[in-house]
Amino acid sequence: MKLRTSEYFIQEVFRSLKRNNWMTFASIGTVTVSLFVLGVFLLLVLNMNRLASTLESQVQINVYLEDGVSEARKESIQQEIEGLAGINDVTYVDRAEAEQRLRERLGDQGYLLDALGDENPLPDSFAVTVEDPAFVETAAGTIGQFDGVEEARYGQDVATHLFDITRLIRIFGLVLMVLLCGATLFIISNTIRLTVFARRKEIAIMKYVGATDWFIRWPFLLEGVVMGFAGGLLSALVLRSFYAAMAAKIYDTLAFFPLLPQYPFMNYVTLAILAAGIFIGALGSTISLKRFLKV
Amino acid sequence: MIHMRNVSKIYGNGTAALDHVSVDIEAGEFVFIVGASGAGKSTFIKMLFREELPTRGQLLVNGRDVVHMKRSEVPYLRRGLGVIFQDYRLLPDKTVFENVAFAMQVIEAPRRLMQRSVNAVLDVVGLRDKYRCFPSQLSGGEQQRVAIARAIVNDPAIVIADEPTGNLDPETSWDIMDIFNRINLAGTTIVMATHDKTIVDTMQRRVIAIEDGRIVRDEERGGYGYEA
Repeated sequence: MKLRTSEYFIQEVFRSLKRNNWMTFASIGTVTVSLFVLGVFLLLVLNMNRLASTLESQVQINVYLEDGVSEARKESIQQEIEGLAGINDVTYVDRAEAEQRLRERLGDQGYLLDALGDENPLPDSFAVTVEDPAFVETAAGTIGQFDGVEEARYGQDVATHLFDITRLIRIFGLVLMVLLCGATLFIISNTIRLTVFARRKEIAIMKYVGATDWFIRWPFLLEGVVMGFAGGLLSALVLRSFYAAMAAKIYDTLAFFPLLPQYPFMNYVTLAILAAGIFIGALGSTISLKRFLKV
Repeated sequence: MIHMRNVSKIYGNGTAALDHVSVDIEAGEFVFIVGASGAGKSTFIKMLFREELPTRGQLLVNGRDVVHMKRSEVPYLRRGLGVIFQDYRLLPDKTVFENVAFAMQVIEAPRRLMQRSVNAVLDVVGLRDKYRCFPSQLSGGEQQRVAIARAIVNDPAIVIADEPTGNLDPETSWDIMDIFNRINLAGTTIVMATHDKTIVDTMQRRVIAIEDGRIVRDEERGGYGYEA
C-alpha cells in the first residue's frame, strides 16, 4: 500500500468515526466494558492459580489435636510423627501460642479475637514440615489416623479446593466473555454498517472507476480496528489502576496473600487486552463487510 | 474494442433482456445505442463494464474476456473504461477538483500526475475556473461535465455513457455532445445509449437500434429511426 493511500485511508477513518459519533462512542464503550470484564477475570484466575500453587508447594502439615489429650499422649504422638519417613521437623504449638500467632497475623484487626472473651477456640497442634511436598499427602493421611489427632491439614488440601474454584471462575468468566464479545461484535458491525451506508455513493463510484475490492474495504476494516484499539486502551488503563488499588488494599489487609506483582505482569495483561481489542474490532468490521459491502 | 458474440441476458424471472446479440465496435468509433425503454439498452451498456454478466455468449471489451474474468480482474477492466450516467453521480461533499481527482486517487495513480491531469480534463470540459465549487453550486450541465472529466481523467480507451443528456435541456445537451465529439476526435471510442432523437439524427454517427432484446438495425451513418 502506498503512503499516500494510507493517508487517504486514515482521513476516511477519522471522518467516519466523527460522522457516526454516537455509534463510535457506543462501540468503544462496549469494547471497553467487555475487555475490562475479561481483564478482571484474567487477573482473578491468574492470581487464584498462583495462590493455589503457592499453597501446594508448602511443605507444612498442621496436626490439630483433640481436646483433652494427655501430655504423655502428646509426647508419644510427637515421637510417632518423627518416626515417619521424610519428616523434617515437628514443633509443638500450644493453644495459647496459636492464639498469639493469629493475633499477630490479624494485625490491626486483632481486636476481633477480643470478642471471644477468655475463650480460646484454637486447639493444640503440631507444625510438621516434610522434606519434599511429595510426602505431604501420605504423611498427612497417616497422621490423621493417629489416636488423639483430630485432623491433619496441609496446603494441597486447600489448593485442590482453590483449583476447583478457579475452574468455576474460569468457566463463568468465559461464558460472560462470549456474551459480551457477541454484543461488542454486534455493535461494532452495526457502526461499520452505518459507515458503509453513509458512503454507499462513494463506494459505487469507486467501483466504476476501478478501485480494487481491498482498496474499498481497507478504511472500514481500519475503522473497526481503531475502535477496538481505543476500547482496549481505555480498558487497559482502567484495569491497571484497578489492579494497583486492589493490590494496595490486599497488602494492607491480607499481607500473606501471594499477589502477582504489578510489573511486568500488568504490562503483559495490557498487551493482551490491546491485542484482543484490535482483534474484536477487525472481526466486527469483517462481519459487516461480508454482509453489507457488496464490492 | 468491443466484440459481442451471441450474447443473451436472461434475468431471474425468465425475461430475456438481450437475445443472441452480436456486434463489433472498433477503436475510435462513436456509437449510439437507441431503443425504447426496456428494449435492452441499459443491459447492453451495463454488460460492457461488467455491472451485469451475460447469461450466454462471448464478450470481449478492450481485449479482456468479460465473461470468464475473475472478480479480482474487474477493477482493471474498469480502469480502461470511463462510465457516465444520467444522474451524474458526483460526491456532494467534494469539490469539482476533488471529484475528478478521486478517480485517480482510488486507483493509486501517482500524485505528481494528479494536479496536471485533473487540470487538463477540466480544460477539456471547460470548468477549469470552477474547480473549487461544490456540485450543489453547479448547473446540471456543469455537473455532467464534471462527471465527464472524471470519466476521462484516467485516459480510458472507451467512454460508456448511459443517457448522459437525459436530464438536460437541448442547448446544454449540445454542449455535452460537443465535448464527446472532441474526446472521440482524440481517439477515444464512445458508446452512448440515448433517447434523444435530435442528437442522433444530427450527429450522423453509427446507430445500433435495440428492440425486444435484439439488434434490429445497425447503420454506419444513421438516424434515430421513425418509431421514436
